[in-house]
Amino acid sequence: MSGVGTRILTVEDDERIRTAVRMALEDEGWLVDEAETGEVALDQFSREPADVVLIDIMLPGMDGFEVCRSIRRASSDVPIVMVTARVDTHDVVAGLEAGADDYLTKPFAPKELSARIRALLRRARAAEPGKTHLRFGDLEIIPEEGVVTKAGETVHLTKTEFRLLVELASSPGRVFSREVLLERVWGYGYFGDGRLVDVHIRRLRTKVEADPADPRHVVTVRGLGYKLQA
Amino acid sequence: MSTATPIDKIDPARRAVGRFSLRTRLMTMFALGALLLSALLAVLAFSLVRNRLLAERDEGFTNTAYLNASIFRERIPETADRETLDVGAVLADLPTPQRSLVFVFDSQTGEWDSNTTELTASDIPLSMRQRVGEGEPTRMRFATANDPYLGVAMPLESRNLQYFEMTPLNDLAETLRLLTFGLLGAGTITTAMGSLVGLWATRRILSPLAEVTEAATAIADGQLDTRLPESRDTDLQPLVQSFNGMVERLSYQIERDARFASEVSHELRSPLMTLAASSAVLEARRDDLPERAQQALDLLVDDVDRFQQLVEDLLEISRFDVGAQKLELDRVNIAELVMQSLEFASEPDVVVEVDSAVSDLDVRADKRRIVRVMANLIDNARKYAEGVETVRVTSGGADTVCIAVEDDGPGVPEDERQQIFDRFSRGRSAGQRGGGDSGVGLGLSLVTEHVKLHGGTVWCEPRRDDGTGARFVIELPVHRTKGEPDLSSEPALDELSEVSA
Repeated sequence: MSGVGTRILTVEDDERIRTAVRMALEDEGWLVDEAETGEVALDQFSREPADVVLIDIMLPGMDGFEVCRSIRRASSDVPIVMVTARVDTHDVVAGLEAGADDYLTKPFAPKELSARIRALLRRARAAEPGKTHLRFGDLEIIPEEGVVTKAGETVHLTKTEFRLLVELASSPGRVFSREVLLERVWGYGYFGDGRLVDVHIRRLRTKVEADPADPRHVVTVRGLGYKLQA
Repeated sequence: MSTATPIDKIDPARRAVGRFSLRTRLMTMFALGALLLSALLAVLAFSLVRNRLLAERDEGFTNTAYLNASIFRERIPETADRETLDVGAVLADLPTPQRSLVFVFDSQTGEWDSNTTELTASDIPLSMRQRVGEGEPTRMRFATANDPYLGVAMPLESRNLQYFEMTPLNDLAETLRLLTFGLLGAGTITTAMGSLVGLWATRRILSPLAEVTEAATAIADGQLDTRLPESRDTDLQPLVQSFNGMVERLSYQIERDARFASEVSHELRSPLMTLAASSAVLEARRDDLPERAQQALDLLVDDVDRFQQLVEDLLEISRFDVGAQKLELDRVNIAELVMQSLEFASEPDVVVEVDSAVSDLDVRADKRRIVRVMANLIDNARKYAEGVETVRVTSGGADTVCIAVEDDGPGVPEDERQQIFDRFSRGRSAGQRGGGDSGVGLGLSLVTEHVKLHGGTVWCEPRRDDGTGARFVIELPVHRTKGEPDLSSEPALDELSEVSA
């Protein structure tokens, strides 16, 4: 179940929501830190990094997108869940592009949030335990160590980006549909949001491809899905 | 809007005119105007020229005739012996211009002399002879069977003779005939040019109208930043200004509505978040509570759920109303979509019958909307019947597929089959057996909206087999290009890379 001692930082300006969510999450077995603004959250995170960050998009002052970008700029791979009270496409995609790993719409059930967090905290698994180094041209993946290098240089991936890459690398050349990736990486079923996959693939490309607009490794197979190739 | 004139109040004559396009009417008016104007000018020109020519000829010929008459009189001595006088020779000797026809009547002998055979004395009008006989000089236009003539006559009283001189007016008639042709031609050309000018003017006048039409269409399609280009034409400026002003206000209104919906959404969801999290905390401690508190907690939790659903539905409806809904289309297998929807709605035991003709069929659908549609229909069946009995997936024709959700309830009376899809409508009979259940009657109207967004339709009908229950049918368009690479659907947010082997 929930890892003992897993710390969640919740960034939420509404005190009542913050308190209620903290209590519910504590019931689920997590340790919860609270921050009422983005500035406080960044300060707290730099002093004591959490294992998961939960960010409300609508915050006074620095908004949730900016908090997310700041955390990612500091090369942190921490899983981030965006919380939005609005459901328009723009907010969701903007949140994912700012670096969030998943999103939830208010009001959500605490159990649902726990499930999301657990999925994001899963470790990347290698297809064949014996194989420790996976090579795709100039790209090298070491699942056990969580390391990816491009032409010898380390690439900073978030945990979710890394798991997505390892998933694709588990069967080189095989086409993965969005549904399969949603299930294996995020733990979603048939009705998961395909935009999660699309935006993460885009983010992955900006990091591992020489030219993200003309990807060589992470390629789209139109109408079917994505695959990884050398 | 009460000032708009209903179309049947407009007087019938105007409606008849209205049947022709503005373009046709304007062009016809220009052509008619040109025709009328040229006809008027032609008639005026013709009569002026004719009168002028005739007057000139009258005067000139009268002078000639008088001159000739006086010469003639000089050549007939007053005392001449009439028996021996050869009037014909004198006439032949007269320096008359070509085609001047002279007749002389001797009132003593009653004989006629003439220098011509073109006319005979009997061609001379009687009235003319009478008046000359009464001693009165006369001028008269007359026509023989063939030609028009101008005649001048005077008595030569000292010689007891009457002098008649005639000249044909053929040349004048010919001139006027040519003039008529010329004017007719000019009139025709003017009319044609009038039509052309009309055509050109109509185009010019209607081209702003075409622009307005184009802009209005674009706006109706949701491009709210469309504006008419500024015009320097003082006649068009008010139209451009008021049109752009209208669009400005309209888009402001729509934007405000959307913003309002978004703010309401935030304001409603925030307390619901507190409620949901708090009730989860309480539920986790349910066993610690006294029985009475447990009961209250169950009520609370149930109604928080219900309230949450209501808010979701209302926000969804308002998003439809401001047109803020977008489809996230995927190509999905219809049978799998239905099965997964039932599983999602916790109804995995419902019998699903898929027609073999459609079992491999793909539709382009927003999965998460379709699952809402199915959930709402299942919910509806749970409320008004004992839940869904069968879901049938069949072909709806060449380009559609039908999903029919059947229940075993009392069915829906015929006169309510339309209105149950209206907002906040639960049907009279449904209300009676309502049984204190939840739902505010938004479910089916949301079904309609979601299905419409997919280009499909939904309706309610009685079951086709022996069952008494209702049958809700969703008809969706089929995605036909199976096996071909799909240009618009998944997973292409921004990429169009290669089609793989």
